[in-house]
Amino acid sequence: MSTDPTDLRPDSLRSIFDRGAEGASEALSRWLGRPVRLLVSAIDHSDLSVAGDLIGPADDLVAACAMGLSGRLDGMLLLVFEDRSGLAIADFLLARPIGSTDQWGELERSAAMETANIVGCAYLNALADAIPGGQRDGLVPTPPEFRHEFAGSLLEFALMGQATEQDEVLLVRTEFVAGPELPSLRWTLLFVPGPSTATTLRALRAESP
Amino acid sequence: MPNASDREIRTDPGTEWISVAIGRWAIASAPTPLRTLLGSCVGVAFHDREGRLGALTHVVLPSSRGIEVDHPGKYADTAIPAVLAEIERRAGPRVRSRLTAKLAGGARMFQVATDPSGTLDIGRRNQEAIEAILSELRIPVLARDLGGNAGRRLTLDTVSGIVAIKIPGGAEYCL
Repeated sequence: MSTDPTDLRPDSLRSIFDRGAEGASEALSRWLGRPVRLLVSAIDHSDLSVAGDLIGPADDLVAACAMGLSGRLDGMLLLVFEDRSGLAIADFLLARPIGSTDQWGELERSAAMETANIVGCAYLNALADAIPGGQRDGLVPTPPEFRHEFAGSLLEFALMGQATEQDEVLLVRTEFVAGPELPSLRWTLLFVPGPSTATTLRALRAESP
Repeated sequence: MPNASDREIRTDPGTEWISVAIGRWAIASAPTPLRTLLGSCVGVAFHDREGRLGALTHVVLPSSRGIEVDHPGKYADTAIPAVLAEIERRAGPRVRSRLTAKLAGGARMFQVATDPSGTLDIGRRNQEAIEAILSELRIPVLARDLGGNAGRRLTLDTVSGIVAIKIPGGAEYCL
């Protein structure tokens, strides 16, 4: 069986990322001990000049955990937390009253990175399984790295690989939905393809019915 | 805030500031400030104190490689000539001798990113290209705030030429 991502059929593009979201939903629900759903909200194809606002106002401060990708898909996976929501989950994981933390200290960053690691690896494993000829060892993530950043700066950096080849950029946004027993999950999981994967996905998207 | 397009000039003093998008540039008369957010891109802030005029470019890549481009603001070798031509059109040909520049940006925000195409080193390459072009044009670079691993919010005060830099978690400082 072929292992070339260009063998993906157009109508399977969205469903592949849905599979990634499903895999991540299961892993995150186990990690938090509560049901959580991840839903692919958009496959954005935008002009570079407006990309800084894709996850909200560009000068908003957000927390983000980044994982680099190599292998069959190049690019970056970013788990982005609106500040209060990210800190609330850190409180939840650390068994503290929700809202008791207002700074990203070492413990909170560690909780965020562990969450990103669990979500990211499950997402990528599900993606690898959904791609024809999928091989898990063909998608290699790096350990997550934490930053507290301007949303616009974060996206600008993540999209730099695509910007070297195109004026338009592509990324896949996944949102989180949790039950009432969890704090509001104002998080976004961003799959930011590198140049070669973006070219493949862009071509597939153009062929979509 | 309004975004600036490649050739757009906004000088409405009632505007709080003009936001310069990725790969674009803008010019403003005092007192309207210009602002942009930078990661690995480099912002070039031009100022003409006498003419009370400022310009800001958000350079993404060092070179257009000689290819005709839709958005000259994206590349150092097309953005700087384009913005200078617009400044001269607005302030006259003698403005060039009065212009000064300040540079900021060029961060490498994450170490995790894989880099098959060398894009993580783009900040340094942008800086080198910009400095070479400005040197050739004899525009002095008065200050630099480049590199590191944090994004920057750059605000150019078109009255004084002061560039204010804000890094997440840090106090604002001036160049």
